[in-house]
Amino acid sequence: MNYPVWDVPVLGAGLVVAIIAVFHVLVSHFAIGGGAFLFAAEWWAGRLVRSGRPEDGLRVRGFLHRYATFFLVFTTVFGAMTGVGIWFAIALASPEGTSLLIHQFVFAWATEWVVFLVELSLLYLYYYGWKHNRREDQVFLAGAYFVVSWFSLFIINGILSFMLTPGGWTIENRDLAAAFFNPSYWPSLVLRTVTMGLIGGIGGILVAGRMDPGDPLKARVVRFSAAFVVPAAFLVPLLFAWYWSTLPEGTVQMVQEGVAGLGGGRLTAITRHLVLAGVAGSAVMAGVLVAVFRPRVVTTGAAVALLLMVQMGLMGAEFFREMARKPYVLHGTLYSNSLWRRDVDAGPSVLKAPFLQRARWHPAVEEMSPEHGEWVFRLQCASCHTREGYRDIASRTAPWTPEFAFQWFETMHEPGVMPPFQGSAEDRAALAAWLLNLHGRTLDGRDVLRAAEKAANPAPPPAADPLLPREAQP
Amino acid sequence: MSSDLSPIPPEAEPRLPAPGSRAGRAARWLLARYPVWPIVEHLAEKRVPRHRHSAWYAMGGIVLFFFSVQVVTGILLMVYYDPGQPWQSVQRIVMEIPYGALVRSIHHWAANLMILAIFLHLFSTFFLKAYRPPRELTWVTGLVLAGLAMAFGFSGYLLPWDELSFFATRVGISEIEKAPLVGGFLADLVRGGPDVTVATINRFYPLHVVVLPLLILGLIGAHLTFVQVQGVSEPDSFRALPPEQRKYHKFFGEFLVAEIPVWLALGVLLVALAALAPRALDPEANPAASAPEGIKPEWYFLSQYQALKLFPGSLELLGQALLGLVPLAMVAVPFWDRSIPADARGRLATRLGIAGLAGLVAMTLWGWLS
Repeated sequence: MNYPVWDVPVLGAGLVVAIIAVFHVLVSHFAIGGGAFLFAAEWWAGRLVRSGRPEDGLRVRGFLHRYATFFLVFTTVFGAMTGVGIWFAIALASPEGTSLLIHQFVFAWATEWVVFLVELSLLYLYYYGWKHNRREDQVFLAGAYFVVSWFSLFIINGILSFMLTPGGWTIENRDLAAAFFNPSYWPSLVLRTVTMGLIGGIGGILVAGRMDPGDPLKARVVRFSAAFVVPAAFLVPLLFAWYWSTLPEGTVQMVQEGVAGLGGGRLTAITRHLVLAGVAGSAVMAGVLVAVFRPRVVTTGAAVALLLMVQMGLMGAEFFREMARKPYVLHGTLYSNSLWRRDVDAGPSVLKAPFLQRARWHPAVEEMSPEHGEWVFRLQCASCHTREGYRDIASRTAPWTPEFAFQWFETMHEPGVMPPFQGSAEDRAALAAWLLNLHGRTLDGRDVLRAAEKAANPAPPPAADPLLPREAQP
Repeated sequence: MSSDLSPIPPEAEPRLPAPGSRAGRAARWLLARYPVWPIVEHLAEKRVPRHRHSAWYAMGGIVLFFFSVQVVTGILLMVYYDPGQPWQSVQRIVMEIPYGALVRSIHHWAANLMILAIFLHLFSTFFLKAYRPPRELTWVTGLVLAGLAMAFGFSGYLLPWDELSFFATRVGISEIEKAPLVGGFLADLVRGGPDVTVATINRFYPLHVVVLPLLILGLIGAHLTFVQVQGVSEPDSFRALPPEQRKYHKFFGEFLVAEIPVWLALGVLLVALAALAPRALDPEANPAASAPEGIKPEWYFLSQYQALKLFPGSLELLGQALLGLVPLAMVAVPFWDRSIPADARGRLATRLGIAGLAGLVAMTLWGWLS
């Protein structure tokens, strides 16, 4: 609790990060898969020229220039905006976790920035040298761009997969190799690489969608693009099975329980998002097969529909990956509300110490007042919950009683979705009172403590009165 | 040999698959028994004009897609829904049945998106002036279909029998009750008594799963037949082009195929909405309890609900009469605005349509925010 709280009304800090990240994942994956597409299409155009069909080669290059224009604008403008946006948002939403990642992977991130610089330079040299460069140089630049951009995935994948499966890394050993090449590193790397190829192909269909149906090149371009998508769509489920085999046991169990609805599952959202990713992947496959069989009728609308399916599928997959870490932000080490696992393991002397005394960024508040409860909420709960928006706390606590709330905080971590409560009985009582006051009550922590004590020590039944008949006895 | 088989029309031969192929044999077998070649030929010739507003032609197909989702998910929900224990059976669907919560949420979102798509289809048809002769009956059946879709929404909303659905339905029926002369009778008829009770479910459930589906399927059949027979309407700006500049898509094989990815994307959107915002099940309805604050009808009834608030007390009857005029005016439009290209009436109809759309959006937003 060494950092100020970023309290975002309605959306919540976590959802702000997710909104930016979901779009960034599409852009960043396209930035690499599109590179492979540029290289392959350059090679295709060159082969047409070499095989005595220079006019066809020129026309493919005409298409490729349109693709490169879209690619450059989409990946550099939106990629830069969302990439910086993610840094800004995660540092505010989870400063403790961001600090840990920076300290652990400082060299990897420095390399990543150099790679970005080289990647962007190559792309600009390719695009703005279109008229001046020799074709062989263009093929080289496109290929070099793809290799360098894929290397950025090689690096960032180590950091992303580490957060879910840290493997042999511990907070004590800080083993960089164990952290980077963690158990889900390789399946995640291959899965993402194949997905990038798929997105690069969808980009090709999108640009081809604007071509006139009467243009004979349209069908060839659509089928060329589909060749990136169809094999990838077949491979993704197989690669996901490999990835699945490396997930923590608790995550697998949580997904399986979520199938049987709210009653059976602890966190059905994780299952729903995984279903979304699967449905979207199947739908993309079906849509692209339609394009393969009738390439000339692919319109911009149909191609945009394919791209939106990919975006929604990525959203499902990324939400799944984020939720799979619950209740941690770094699995087994740091909880999503910046509580360290080592503080939990240290026992009640640390975990149950007065909470606000350990937290730095809050105003002075009267103990067990509603303000006390509100600051416990902001510092412990607001990283995931809002008052009345996304994952709202108001509807979740509507049927609560003071004694239930007080007791629930003590055990809420046991199902494995929420982190343990940090703080004393007074902190729990203050938070319970503030939450119940959201529903029109006027309690403070002392009222909650009294109710909890009463529930824990119910009054003994009145003694039997020997003068009353048996049926009138209490 | 039977002489009742029909001969294959000579003009069909070159367009059928080769006689030796399996598809060719099947096509000839069918045509010999069902001599529908003129219909097949008519449909094969059907085309969709290409212009900058062409995307709106996809709205009808989108409505039909959402309706198909409703049929499939509705049948799945019916397997476990019990009108004798409405809330308990819905609770079982969302708590115990594998993917039950997902199917229920998809049903909820598809219902809302279907009605939104109907509004878009209706207004795009209106502004492209596709209601003019000879398509009056296509327009009128479309309006009735829109009304039936809203009746679907109203009757289905009560079925979970939770707090929100109960009180929202009670508010909705109380608006019917205010209608002059027949209001009380209609409200009692719908409710099955003086208040919303389980008896109301016994009326809404068969209405939702039998009566309305039969009506809507029949009308969809008529609506689509009209569209197939008369073809797709062309806007005035397209008609004004010289013939060599008018371009078309073939409906079957081109336009329809290009719509498939759009339907797939909408199907994924439904799952995404169900994943992000699953339909909640509130506590079981308690008719004796007081209504929670802020209970309102569903969004597609909000504009009428809010408009009636502008006519308090003795003006209420006037408000109802004016609101009643809106559907009548919409039915009358194609019989009043008939000129192609549009004349002064046509331009006035467009302006009235813009005003109506603005009013609908404004009233809905006002009702939602107030």
